[in-house]
Amino acid sequence: MKVLSLYVENDTFIHKLEPITKLLYALISIVITFLFPSIMVGAVFVAFSLLLAISAKVFKRMLLLLNVVLIVLLSMVIIQGLFYRQNVTPAFKLWGLTFYKEGLLYSLLLIVRVVNMIISFGVLILTTRPSDLVDNLVQKGLSPRFGYVLASVLQIIPQMLSTTSTITDAQRSRGLETEGNLFQRFSAFFALLGPLVLNSLVEARERAMAIEIRGFSVEGKRTFVRQIPETKADRWIKISLYVAFIVAVVWRIILWVM
Amino acid sequence: MAKNSKLTTAILVLIPVAVGINYAGKLFASALKLPLWLDSIGTMLSAVLAGPIVGAISGAINNIIYGLTTDPVSFVYALTSIGIGVSVGFLAKGKMFNNAFRTLLSGLIVALVATVISVPINVVFWGGQTGNVWGDALFAFLQSKNVGIWVSSFFDEIVVDLVDKVLCVFITFGIFKALPKTLVYTFKGEE
Repeated sequence: MKVLSLYVENDTFIHKLEPITKLLYALISIVITFLFPSIMVGAVFVAFSLLLAISAKVFKRMLLLLNVVLIVLLSMVIIQGLFYRQNVTPAFKLWGLTFYKEGLLYSLLLIVRVVNMIISFGVLILTTRPSDLVDNLVQKGLSPRFGYVLASVLQIIPQMLSTTSTITDAQRSRGLETEGNLFQRFSAFFALLGPLVLNSLVEARERAMAIEIRGFSVEGKRTFVRQIPETKADRWIKISLYVAFIVAVVWRIILWVM
Repeated sequence: MAKNSKLTTAILVLIPVAVGINYAGKLFASALKLPLWLDSIGTMLSAVLAGPIVGAISGAINNIIYGLTTDPVSFVYALTSIGIGVSVGFLAKGKMFNNAFRTLLSGLIVALVATVISVPINVVFWGGQTGNVWGDALFAFLQSKNVGIWVSSFFDEIVVDLVDKVLCVFITFGIFKALPKTLVYTFKGEE
């Protein structure tokens, strides 16, 4: 079955880690980079996340993920460099515009944080099958009903997308204008979305009955077809992540109090 | 419009559909070259059908799935989606979708809620920008006139959100009115 995902099949050390370990790394590295307003801390995490991405052989895909925010990041440098409130020291001039040091440094800080967020989550996303992540979360105590919701989104979206092209073809063959002025295109939006909503709600009702018959609401503990093992490496990584997190929080509080 | 004291199976299968509708809305909007996102219709529809809690869950899951499949940045905007789901759910409960005027009012409220939640996120993550060209141009202009970062960021966000959310609310309202009653009752939840 077609499933929505950015997963890259491979067999590296990172791929074999438990999904939760990778999730935990992403969350903790993001929290730490935001706790410290320092470009150095951010750069260390960016470098480390990149190292993980390279060792998982997903570097090229990572560039595609980063590409999405490239323009915003560039405009951030320009806007903050020109107009940041605490701008005093001019750094350089370009086409008669003065860029200031404070704004440029501030935008650099924002950039390392965002880039670290994308790369650290990217490692999780690119090296983990989404269904494995959901299974892993359910094994660790997430309600299986919610697990089902998460897993089924990933299957339903490709299904709905294929329905989408069917509806588009059907409406076009009836003479629907999908080009033209803004108003025409807006009415086309209704003509396309309406049938899709109706169709998918009817299907959802049938699905509800089908899974109900298969014992969806049964109480009690679930067993799993696929067990995701927690390796020794996982345990060590998790412990060091927790330690890093606690150290960072304590350090931050000390800096704050002093 | 439901009390949703319980997440029934019907409601649980509604949530993925809501996320799918958001996805399709965004897809259609870009295919038709509309200058908007229109990517919260599913969240709003689920909130109208099954109440604020389901709206909030749909919104959160929508952004989690987006984050996992296309763009990790969208995780942090889950809060905005939750806000949209909750506010639409309560507005629907308060019969604010009964006629065109009230719907317009609801749209404005939802846009305001979305903006108020998004602005702190924009300030923390992007130094106040939204990534939308028009909004950011306004932001740069206000910053150059020494307007505070919060105010600038607020205007940056609201010029984008206002039209988008009001239209989403209207489309949701239109679709909801056109749905057969039997379907509406299926997803209404247990009273």
